[in-house]
Amino acid sequence: MLQSEVWFLLRDRAFRVWVLVVLLFSGFAVWSGLAEVAQQRQSIAFLVDADSTDRTSEFSAQGDWGSAAYYSFHLTYDPPSDFAFAAMGQRDASSWKHRLRMLALEGQIYEHDPGNPELALIGRFDFAFFAAFVLPLVLIFLLHDLKAGERTAGRFNLLVASAGNDNRLWWTRSLLRAIGVLIAAVGPLLVGGVVSGTSAASLLGATAMVTAYVLFWTVVCLWLGSRQHPASVILASLIGVWVLLGTLLPAGGRVIIDRLVSVPSGADILMTQREAVNDAWDLPVADTMAPFVARHPEWTGYTHTGDGFDWGWYYAFQQVGDQTTESLSAAYRKGRARRDQLAAWFAIAAPPALLERWLQKLAGTNVEAVLDYEESVRAFHAELRAFYYPGLFGDAAFDPARIDDLPQFSSSE
Amino acid sequence: MTTTVKLEADALQVYRSDKEVLSGISFSLSSSEVYALLGGNGAGKSTTLLSFLGFLPAAGGRVLVNGKDVSADHKAARAAIAYLPEAASLYEHLNAFENLRYFLQLAGRSEDSPALEAALDRVSLAPASRARRLKDYSKGMRQKVAIALAILRDTDILLLDEPTSGLDPSAIDEFHDLIRDLADTGKTILMVTHDVYGACQVADRIGLLRGGKLVGEFSAPTDGRIETETVHRAFSGRTVDTQLAV
Repeated sequence: MLQSEVWFLLRDRAFRVWVLVVLLFSGFAVWSGLAEVAQQRQSIAFLVDADSTDRTSEFSAQGDWGSAAYYSFHLTYDPPSDFAFAAMGQRDASSWKHRLRMLALEGQIYEHDPGNPELALIGRFDFAFFAAFVLPLVLIFLLHDLKAGERTAGRFNLLVASAGNDNRLWWTRSLLRAIGVLIAAVGPLLVGGVVSGTSAASLLGATAMVTAYVLFWTVVCLWLGSRQHPASVILASLIGVWVLLGTLLPAGGRVIIDRLVSVPSGADILMTQREAVNDAWDLPVADTMAPFVARHPEWTGYTHTGDGFDWGWYYAFQQVGDQTTESLSAAYRKGRARRDQLAAWFAIAAPPALLERWLQKLAGTNVEAVLDYEESVRAFHAELRAFYYPGLFGDAAFDPARIDDLPQFSSSE
Repeated sequence: MTTTVKLEADALQVYRSDKEVLSGISFSLSSSEVYALLGGNGAGKSTTLLSFLGFLPAAGGRVLVNGKDVSADHKAARAAIAYLPEAASLYEHLNAFENLRYFLQLAGRSEDSPALEAALDRVSLAPASRARRLKDYSKGMRQKVAIALAILRDTDILLLDEPTSGLDPSAIDEFHDLIRDLADTGKTILMVTHDVYGACQVADRIGLLRGGKLVGEFSAPTDGRIETETVHRAFSGRTVDTQLAV
């Protein structure tokens, strides 16, 4: 039966057209992902060079630690993984590069507006989106009338009577079509993986995920397609299932999760920190230094050098600005992580969302990766403070040659 | 030749969509026998055939193929039967050979080209048309391919649903000859039809179905065919059931 069904399938023009459509869509999704990743890598490479040149120029032109810290920028970045081309995920919604200064940090992390109007309009057509949302539609169009179409054509009884084992016939037909679609979908992904240098484990994992997902939709199509209804009714039912699993459940889940877990907005953190920093100009110096030395007792001996401007005081109130927003920032991170955990549970009931999440995890473009990057930025900023504070609050003399000792941001790449 | 019962309906009762379609009909066919079930629309003719194939479960009674209850093993029943559905629709994007090969492979058989040619010869399908896709065929030509398929299945039992539908008169005569030839080689043939004349021409026995009940049965005399006029009168309701000849 297998041989005859393969022969039969290869003569089915509709199948060939759909496979070609899948191949084109998948190819486009992979190509656009590779192009985006290449552009991001190019941006990072350019910025790394420019950042170094700029910092060397600014640092050497200064005469004290405060000015050197103020005018020097430090690039941090989260390079795309070798599988990011397949699932851009949170890279479209969160910043993957920051140019930091020694000023208050939290505002610098959240001052970017991550909303991209173009992407908000239609979303990114990456492989994850294609596989999660477009692939099921193709399977639905291909499989919904396997039985109903034969009934309408008057062939159903002849086919089943000839095959004897009707389950085997319909499973064979469904799986062969699904395999054809799967090959057309995964083929470009594997090619993209080779081009991108993706690890075999990642590619195998992604292939396994997409295979399981295609199998899920094949079973759904076969199950609903077995009903003795007209093909149009079966198609409408399957589209309904697709809308339910792909749109309504994730949207409903998001509303529920947002209500269950409140998260302060990034703008609140930014405003709170800026107000704290700006207010400090008008507060007595002691009001700033008290919370600062509480955090850094090693600089208790620092004394403000008069009523005017002083770099030590300036950087102290930058840090106090961060300290003011610590609880907000922690709540923000904890809330995002909690929402993400709940979304992972919710995704079990919404396979399209589940597949996207799986692929984003493999690609290192999920919420967890974003939070990890933010933590690496905080750690780097802490290193910067550790480098500058002896000069700002101690008696270390400024030496332009110390630029070589500046902490270097180390990406996860 | 030893005659064995190949098909048997025993007090068969079948419902479709909660409506009783067959009300306890009983009949049986032996090898080399041609049985025609005659009846109007909705009489239950096609339902009877589908019951033998295990497509419709018996609500009462039973159906047996080669002595085995179909409800216990419908796959064995289907393997023993070549089925020609009413207005059999084969694949239009395939030609006659491709259709035959595909359906035969589906049934676990493979025939070489000469065998396919021979079957198509037997149904008188013009050689020039055999390599053309079925979308270019007339209804009668398609029916001939379907009949060829039933022949090529080479099973002991043939179930034919309105087999002469779409055939022209000369093709119908050829088909009747073919049915008789097949019966002479030991095949058991159950056909359902509206065609009183055709049924009388080819059948050894005719069962008259009306409202899901077998209201009469006619048998051919040893040296002749069933008389058309008698059956026609019964079919059109001009003869009371109890007067039907047996």
